Amino acid sequence: MRKFKFFIDFDKEEKWLEEMAAQGYQLVKKSLGYKFRAAEPEQAIIKIDYRSFKRQEDFMEYCTLFEDSGWQHIAGSRGSGSQYFKKVGGDPHDDIFSDQLSRAGKYKRVSKMFKDLAICYMPVFIALMSTGALDASAMLDPQQLYLTEGLWEKSGADFWKSFLFETPFALFRGFIWLVFPVFIGVYLYCAHKANKLYDKQIQA
Amino acid sequence: MNRDKQLPLTETTYYILLALVEPAHGYLIMQKVEELSEGSVKLAAGTLYGAIENLLKHQWIEAVKSEEKRRKTYVITEAGKAMLHLDAERMQHMLAITERLLQR
Repeated sequence: MRKFKFFIDFDKEEKWLEEMAAQGYQLVKKSLGYKFRAAEPEQAIIKIDYRSFKRQEDFMEYCTLFEDSGWQHIAGSRGSGSQYFKKVGGDPHDDIFSDQLSRAGKYKRVSKMFKDLAICYMPVFIALMSTGALDASAMLDPQQLYLTEGLWEKSGADFWKSFLFETPFALFRGFIWLVFPVFIGVYLYCAHKANKLYDKQIQA
Repeated sequence: MNRDKQLPLTETTYYILLALVEPAHGYLIMQKVEELSEGSVKLAAGTLYGAIENLLKHQWIEAVKSEEKRRKTYVITEAGKAMLHLDAERMQHMLAITERLLQR
């Protein structure tokens, strides 16, 4: 079974995955969504760390360290960021962090990742803007987005047919550039949210 | 007094450096730290991984050849030993001054 969900708060994500495990859904893969396998319902302890690795051997060393200390790596890859671990036996209060600073540290890394993404897109956006590839004037004069010859002279059913046919293309032409500012905005918001969670953890 | 701004070391850092006076891999570091601190410092995997990364960045520890590919072995460097000495001196002074003042 696949589920699509988005979390910034790892505590909430861990809780949700534990609830899923209690209902008999075992996390097997995380890419765009979560992939579960039907299994025996269990009281699992699931913890998430956030790290990406440049080299495969570093990733292997990391997983081995967790496995040596009783945490099975259940999902996540070298460059995926989120790494999912399940406790093998032991105390239900066990955690993958033993102090508050390192526990909060993963939110710093998430925040940085979103900030880097936003910074990546900004020059692209500015370049498209300054070369005139993006044209915000369509906002004020949407008629210019329609390229059908003589469209505005037509009338009745003839007009509506041509008009409605072209509308999706016109919208695409006119507003596709909005993708850049919207995504930059979303990334900055996520970076801010993660940073707030970091502050909250530090003060806890 | 002109002191290194990395001082004082955290309890965790101090014990990890001490544990690496002899080469050890990650899980062995956890066990050694617990033993050296008589059970009062228990390191979790995520915390230790971050600490190792940080110590490598400061070049207070370094990776050495290891037989196992999946478990890297680390050992303290001269710079790491120097930090341990500096912090031990700092604590020795604190101990001495505490004893002297509390004895009055």
